[in-house]
Amino acid sequence: MQSMELPLVVFTVFSQAAIGVTVMRAVRTTADGAGAEDHGARREWGLIAGLMVFGMLGSLFHLGHPLSAPTALNHLGTAWLSREVLFAGMFTGVTVLAVLVAGITGKPALAWLGTLLGLGVIVSAGMTYAPPALPALDNGLPFAFFLTSAVILGAGFGSWFAGGGRAPLMARIFTTALVVGLVLNLAAPWIWLSGGTVMRMTGQAWLGSAFYWAHVLVLLGCLGVVWKTRTIPAWLPVLALMGELAGRAGFFADTIHTAANMGGLY
Amino acid sequence: MKKQYAFLVDTERCIGCFTCAMACRNYYHQVEGVVWRQVYPLSEEIYPHRERAFLSLACNHCENPACLNVCPVEAYTKREEDGVVVHHQEKCIGCGNCIRSCPYGAPKYNPVEKRAEKCSLCHERLDAGLNPACVQACPTDALQLIDLAEFERTNEVQYPAGYPRMEELNPSTRFVLPKTPKMVRR
Ligand code: SF4
Ligand code: SF4
Repeated sequence: MQSMELPLVVFTVFSQAAIGVTVMRAVRTTADGAGAEDHGARREWGLIAGLMVFGMLGSLFHLGHPLSAPTALNHLGTAWLSREVLFAGMFTGVTVLAVLVAGITGKPALAWLGTLLGLGVIVSAGMTYAPPALPALDNGLPFAFFLTSAVILGAGFGSWFAGGGRAPLMARIFTTALVVGLVLNLAAPWIWLSGGTVMRMTGQAWLGSAFYWAHVLVLLGCLGVVWKTRTIPAWLPVLALMGELAGRAGFFADTIHTAANMGGLY
Repeated sequence: MKKQYAFLVDTERCIGCFTCAMACRNYYHQVEGVVWRQVYPLSEEIYPHRERAFLSLACNHCENPACLNVCPVEAYTKREEDGVVVHHQEKCIGCGNCIRSCPYGAPKYNPVEKRAEKCSLCHERLDAGLNPACVQACPTDALQLIDLAEFERTNEVQYPAGYPRMEELNPSTRFVLPKTPKMVRR
């Protein structure tokens, strides 16, 4: 097992939750005409900004020299991490602005701008965590994992703000994202078992990891609850958040680096 | 081709004595647990003989270095004059992205400095006309410094078994493979 990277777990999961809620807000408030069912905008933006700021602060603990964090913007030319920092900074700015200017109804334009920047964060994070040294993740999987987390948490927490008319839409999106998350998580480690040595080691590490199974069980549990109640109970998004945190800890801790097998067959 | 310095690792000659790794430590006094050059024994699946064979590895000074490409603060440069990939520790913010990204595990985290560090091919020694400390110390000449631009290829390989094949990075290190030992019967 490698490092759990707690600050990165906090940053990626909380920022994805914030982005997801923004996307759902954009979808919900424009589902049948701008401004439909748009109330409590400030509270919702408050949650989004809170999640994002908490995630950004958490990420600083990952740096050996947090005060130099702004220099992380220096290498936009090739470093996806620089691009991730740029998008995350701009997204945070939009969320804070939205809290300040949101009245009771909010501004759909800000939700769409946030959605765009948020997708920028997810794409660049997907590229950052797909390096050649992690063969199991050197592909589209990190992006797919991150996007699924964003939609699960977005629809989950978004349901807190959806009026009765939009609640079934949130439940449908939540359910679909849970199924996609389950399929991805169940398929990936088994597929890795048929790959090269380091990929196989990663598959075995994931399948033997408490983080992995906790995540899978939470996804299954959430699915069971929605299926039974046909709604998203207010406490369910919090459980989903715990599941995503566990899954992300496993993502960092249990993925094997090529250097772990130096001198062995690849 | 532009000048590109590289290590030539002759695994036929290497006896796994760790002198190269010790020379690096003696020269740079890295903090405990931080190793820039490591000697890896080849697994029995690759070399099933009791003599054993080793890969002495540090940074490969890749043509297209992953460390340099992913570093958000531009703490890495590749020297124009000889292709050496240098890590500038004063710029590093200790994000660990290079450590996660280099497939050869060359950059390491220094817990005291809270920044990354790695082999920079003793570039100050090169500039003074000297060999890198590891090359100078190797008692069997198993480790040599070559310039790939002038190097005449014979039986060397770029990707021996036991070493990740990363064509996109194009690592500079070259290897002479260990021979199968002869059986002598009386
Ligand atoms: S071996 Fe690793 S640290 Fe060295 S140049 Fe290549 S990618 Fe960078
Ligand atoms: S640890 Fe330092 S050198 Fe490595 S990527 Fe981060 S800032 Fe760059």
